Amino acid sequence: MLNGFTRTFPPLRYLTAEQEESIHRGALFTMETTGMQIEHDGARRLLADAGCAVDDDANRVRMPAWLVEECLRKVPTHFRLRARDSANDLMVGGDTVYFMQGMGMRYVDLETWETRPATAAEHREAMIVADALPHTHLAEGWEIYTDRRNIPPVMGMLENLASAIRYSSKTQVAGNIQDTEIFAIMMAQAVGTDLFPEIEHACPLTIQHGGAQAAFRYAEAGIPFVPALSVNQGATGPATLAGAVVLKVAETMGWVVMSQVHTPGAPMAIHHGISAIDMRTGDKLLGTPARGVGTGMMNQMLRRYGIPIWSNTGFASNSKKIDFQAGYEKSLGTLLSALAGGQVQMFQGGSSTELLYSNELAVMEDDVAGWIGGVLEGFIFDDETLAIDLINEVGPIPGHYMAQAHTRKWWNKEDYFPQVADTESYASWVTTGKRDMLDRARDKVAEILSTHTPSPLTDSQEDALEDVLKQARDFYRKRGVISDAEWETYLQELSLGDGR
Amino acid sequence: MDQQTLADLGRAIKEYDGDAAAALAAQALSEDIEPVRVLAALTDAIREVGDGFGAGELFLPELVSAADAMEQAMPIVDAAFTEHGGERASQGKIVAGTVAGDIHNIGKTILCTLLTADGFQVVDLGIDVPVDGFVKAVEEEKPDLVAMSALLTITAQEQKKVIAALEEAGLRSGVKVIVGGGAISQAFADSIGADGYSPTAPGGVSLARELLSID
Repeated sequence: MLNGFTRTFPPLRYLTAEQEESIHRGALFTMETTGMQIEHDGARRLLADAGCAVDDDANRVRMPAWLVEECLRKVPTHFRLRARDSANDLMVGGDTVYFMQGMGMRYVDLETWETRPATAAEHREAMIVADALPHTHLAEGWEIYTDRRNIPPVMGMLENLASAIRYSSKTQVAGNIQDTEIFAIMMAQAVGTDLFPEIEHACPLTIQHGGAQAAFRYAEAGIPFVPALSVNQGATGPATLAGAVVLKVAETMGWVVMSQVHTPGAPMAIHHGISAIDMRTGDKLLGTPARGVGTGMMNQMLRRYGIPIWSNTGFASNSKKIDFQAGYEKSLGTLLSALAGGQVQMFQGGSSTELLYSNELAVMEDDVAGWIGGVLEGFIFDDETLAIDLINEVGPIPGHYMAQAHTRKWWNKEDYFPQVADTESYASWVTTGKRDMLDRARDKVAEILSTHTPSPLTDSQEDALEDVLKQARDFYRKRGVISDAEWETYLQELSLGDGR
Repeated sequence: MDQQTLADLGRAIKEYDGDAAAALAAQALSEDIEPVRVLAALTDAIREVGDGFGAGELFLPELVSAADAMEQAMPIVDAAFTEHGGERASQGKIVAGTVAGDIHNIGKTILCTLLTADGFQVVDLGIDVPVDGFVKAVEEEKPDLVAMSALLTITAQEQKKVIAALEEAGLRSGVKVIVGGGAISQAFADSIGADGYSPTAPGGVSLARELLSID
């Protein structure tokens, strides 16, 4: 099992006990008074039987507080996420913090900063790099390069998931659009892995048919699932942080009640992110301090209920480049969420408002993840680390610590030493070509790609994966989602392989 | 008297008071002010708010609130036009919506608001609009232009299907089609046979004006 990082001190608390209670009460009131719009007939029937007031004409479900409280208690506080290689299993929950590969629609050229659809080979490389990075505990192959060259979009994510499972033995994210979860579940079962799928949510206060259906399908397959409850302040939710958190908590309650009535004890997490928008353009702002504060507030509420947290505070920046802005927006947001009790941080490699994914950025941010992990793990405190006897033994100058057994044992135990940050002396930096962190990250990517071999699938797993893809292609062809012209181009693209 | 009611109506829009706008529109009509003058008071006010937005003095919440207030008054004005045996004139009619499978509302709503503020008559079909929904709206509303939004790569293809369905129904040549949204690029717009693409809502308004040859 991957241990991730353990936060060794209480999480940052933004809300007083009274404020926490007011948010909880406000959300209960909202669920009882206004409720959720749930566009799934079967879900509404289940909820009516469980004691909700259901208005089928308006698709509206009002949930009594006692039922909400009861269902909140049913959500497991921890769950194991099995990877296809058990060494990469995760135990999500509590004070353990994991980092997840970020997402980005397109491949970016680091010379021109232009983006374009990615090839199969580029997706393969992204997964191999993520597989090798020590602080990337979960992989996000599903949403890396959703824009794939010549692949019909509905098949893009499924082709991505197959590639991700082939080239990384870490647990994978998945999703649900257009029934793709059917095939994602089949792939997971074919190789004996769990998934960590996020389910589309419609904000405010709406669960669409497809989202409810996917949550039920994942729950029936025993796979933990994660409603994605992002909000744009002032657009899809209140402009105030406290109001946005009330709305997100209310929606959390709606998803929890629907899911726990369907499958009591179903493992689930909540994916959340609170963002301001630029009121001149409507563009989402991903790097504001309020986003970090709102995430902290929401983390605190979810910890109150013991619901595991997927935070996206650092999943992307508004910057179009890999630069100082991307660095501070993503890293500080992630640090804040991790300090405030977030358990899974979506982070490494994505930027430009979800538009780009870069291996080089992933490598650099894996260093940041290690840095944040160092902050979370803090220090070791016992007689030996206090070193009182040693200090008295070494005494004043000319005494020093370099030759001490204590130093040899401890110098690298409480700190993180970056892989690609520039730590050279100035003179050495000049002699070696004045290279910066991005240059070093490029070397690291090349090194990983020439040396790292992910643990391979067995032949029967490969066959099973290919069979699921074939079934999915047939399914969407018959459904008319893939046109004849798209099909021809798709087949030609597939014949090129992935450069393996 | 006329001037006072119309001035109050304009002010109601600029104060984002939809109830007052609806009441004042009804009052103006009951004072026998011609529907065309009532409409002008509304469009002048919304344009003023739009200009403030363009100048960076007002922001989306003000713009969308003013458009909402106008929307409350419009059915009353439209009914008066119908009663007088006519239809209100606009610089163009636009049908807009977010395509099937996509629930992203905000970008499309901002575009609709800016188009309204610019003087277009806008029919907002909402989110998750199926192909048939667009085709039916084009048949019934007879717009000059269709605007489609898609945020997700996976739903962007729906825009292509709508264009194909419009062609099949023999409606394509009668309308301009523009596309936008997070997953869309100029290359994609060209590849599906759209007439135009804009990455931003204000750009979408300029594009609509350009395609409909409005100065």
